[in-house]
Amino acid sequence: MRWGMVINLAKCTRCHGCVAACRIEHFLPLRLTWPRLVALEVDDGFSVDVSTYPVRCNQCKEAPCVQVCPTEASYKREDGIVAVDHNKCFGCRYCVIACPYQNRTYLSRKRSVNYFPGHATTGFEKKGKDLYPHVPGTTEKCNFCMERIDAGLAKGLKPGIDREATPACVNTCQARALTFGDLDDPYSNVSKLIREKNGFVLHEEYGTEPSVYYIDYRLGGALSNKAPVDAQTGHHMQHLSTVYAPSKPKLAKKYED
Amino acid sequence: MNARTARQWMVPHEWMIKPMAQTEWISGKGLLVWLAEVFSALGTGLYLVSIFFALGSEFEVTAFWTGILGWIGVAVFKLPLHFLYLGKPWRFWRAFPPFSNAWRTSWFSRGIVFTIIFLGFAAVQLVLQGLIAYDVASGTGIDVANYIFMFLAGVCCVITSIYCGFAMSYCKSVPFWNTGLLPFVFLLMAVADGLALIMGVGLVTGEDVIPSAESATRILLIINALLIIVYLVNANYQSVTAELSVKELIRGRVAWVFWLGIVILGIVVPLVISIVSYFTGAEASAGLLVFAIICHTIGAFSLKYGVLKVGIYRPILPKGRAY
Ligand code: SF4
Ligand code: SF4
Ligand code: SF4
Repeated sequence: MRWGMVINLAKCTRCHGCVAACRIEHFLPLRLTWPRLVALEVDDGFSVDVSTYPVRCNQCKEAPCVQVCPTEASYKREDGIVAVDHNKCFGCRYCVIACPYQNRTYLSRKRSVNYFPGHATTGFEKKGKDLYPHVPGTTEKCNFCMERIDAGLAKGLKPGIDREATPACVNTCQARALTFGDLDDPYSNVSKLIREKNGFVLHEEYGTEPSVYYIDYRLGGALSNKAPVDAQTGHHMQHLSTVYAPSKPKLAKKYED
Repeated sequence: MNARTARQWMVPHEWMIKPMAQTEWISGKGLLVWLAEVFSALGTGLYLVSIFFALGSEFEVTAFWTGILGWIGVAVFKLPLHFLYLGKPWRFWRAFPPFSNAWRTSWFSRGIVFTIIFLGFAAVQLVLQGLIAYDVASGTGIDVANYIFMFLAGVCCVITSIYCGFAMSYCKSVPFWNTGLLPFVFLLMAVADGLALIMGVGLVTGEDVIPSAESATRILLIINALLIIVYLVNANYQSVTAELSVKELIRGRVAWVFWLGIVILGIVVPLVISIVSYFTGAEASAGLLVFAIICHTIGAFSLKYGVLKVGIYRPILPKGRAY
């Protein structure tokens, strides 16, 4: 069994529902977000392309973050989920740098402030301290809602099918852009989607074997990948790969069109 | 995609689509990592050079004090600086076996373990070296024991010196570091640092280490300069992100660190001083030597700073042109 997620880029409407769901599910501190929406607007002079990539930890099969961790705080579970044991992590941040997908965040004290700095802690935050305590000085990332999966499986539920056993972001996604299931089962919903719609992973060349796949009618190349028009929010919703954006523009003149 | 302009909307995730530099190991508290790595280079370089000079009987006192300085560089500066950087410093023991088996895959873990072993072996060796240097004890037994511990500490010292390069070169996320050359650049620079500093120790002890140290420095600095050029040329053709790192280093905001710190103060000035003394046949004056040592040490600080500072992440999103 290896849990995986398929993200349909053609369906994502950048509503931030997944980001909010994860924050609520895990009582995330103010300046920390596990899933992220990476958005670009590219104007080629004739038309404007808008794209959104929902990204989160890829739960890599060959995870560099696990290999570099000196304390074994980052570990891989049998179901493929890469987790962090916050009682072991000593905050060296090697994993933050080694993750080729930049999906890890170090929870510094600066990041771990009240939702309303200078004001009283909200009831939500107080509850979070009991239910899902975060440990400043350690590193965090998406864990595929492993607590939900474990609790759901214990009740005999099926992750990806039964809401109670499915990651919070997948449940929340109103456009149904996120699908969760078992990658090892060739007949699972995720395996079928990847097969039929040319699912791809980010930076396959790293050899990390991510468990998060993407579907994009442009990048996949096959006709079957084209999302139905009614799944798009408007004629301007098109998807594209990223553009070159150097850290210091004058250094990259050569790459400009 | 023929994009003329690109506007990026969500600033907090900028690093994911733009080639942005890593900050964890160089900004804010990350400066401690930089300093720790500099002291690692200076300390291990000093110790390696000290055992080289300890092999003969001419420079026993200089070798002893150089070794002591190297040991202090690692034990009193490098390790505590690393320790202070950790988010949860008091959990440092978790990196060591038997509490963790991470040494099998993690260069960080290997490095820390070997640093501690190095300090243990080196401490014993330095006691023996001190006894020999100050004629407190002598005989074949103590000499053999000294050589054995010298060998053991030397091997661990090389690993201590080189592991940071391996730890960085393991990161596919940062193409500029992701090359097997990095550990060797660091190791050779560390030895050159040690050679420069032993001249200072020689000035104090009065032993004539300067001619040998100078001729070794001369060769090593030339090799280092070539190695750095090869490194940069290699990175330049490796990937677009690594190329951007090279540009940032030689033409970007940290260009002054590269040109002034690494090239001029770290390599050119010490090299010119040693070449001039080679051709004139006269030893450089004490003042000039101290100046060369200071320049070289600034070079050591600059090298690590520059390399860490231009460690640019390869953006995560797929695109037509490979990053
Ligand atoms: S995406 Fe990054 S944090 Fe997640 S498993 Fe892969 S390497 Fe680790
Ligand atoms: S920050 Fe924590 S989880 Fe990451 S490598 Fe260091 S000890 Fe491991
Ligand atoms: S799978 Fe769970 S932890 Fe991961 S982004 Fe979604 S809600 Fe957050």
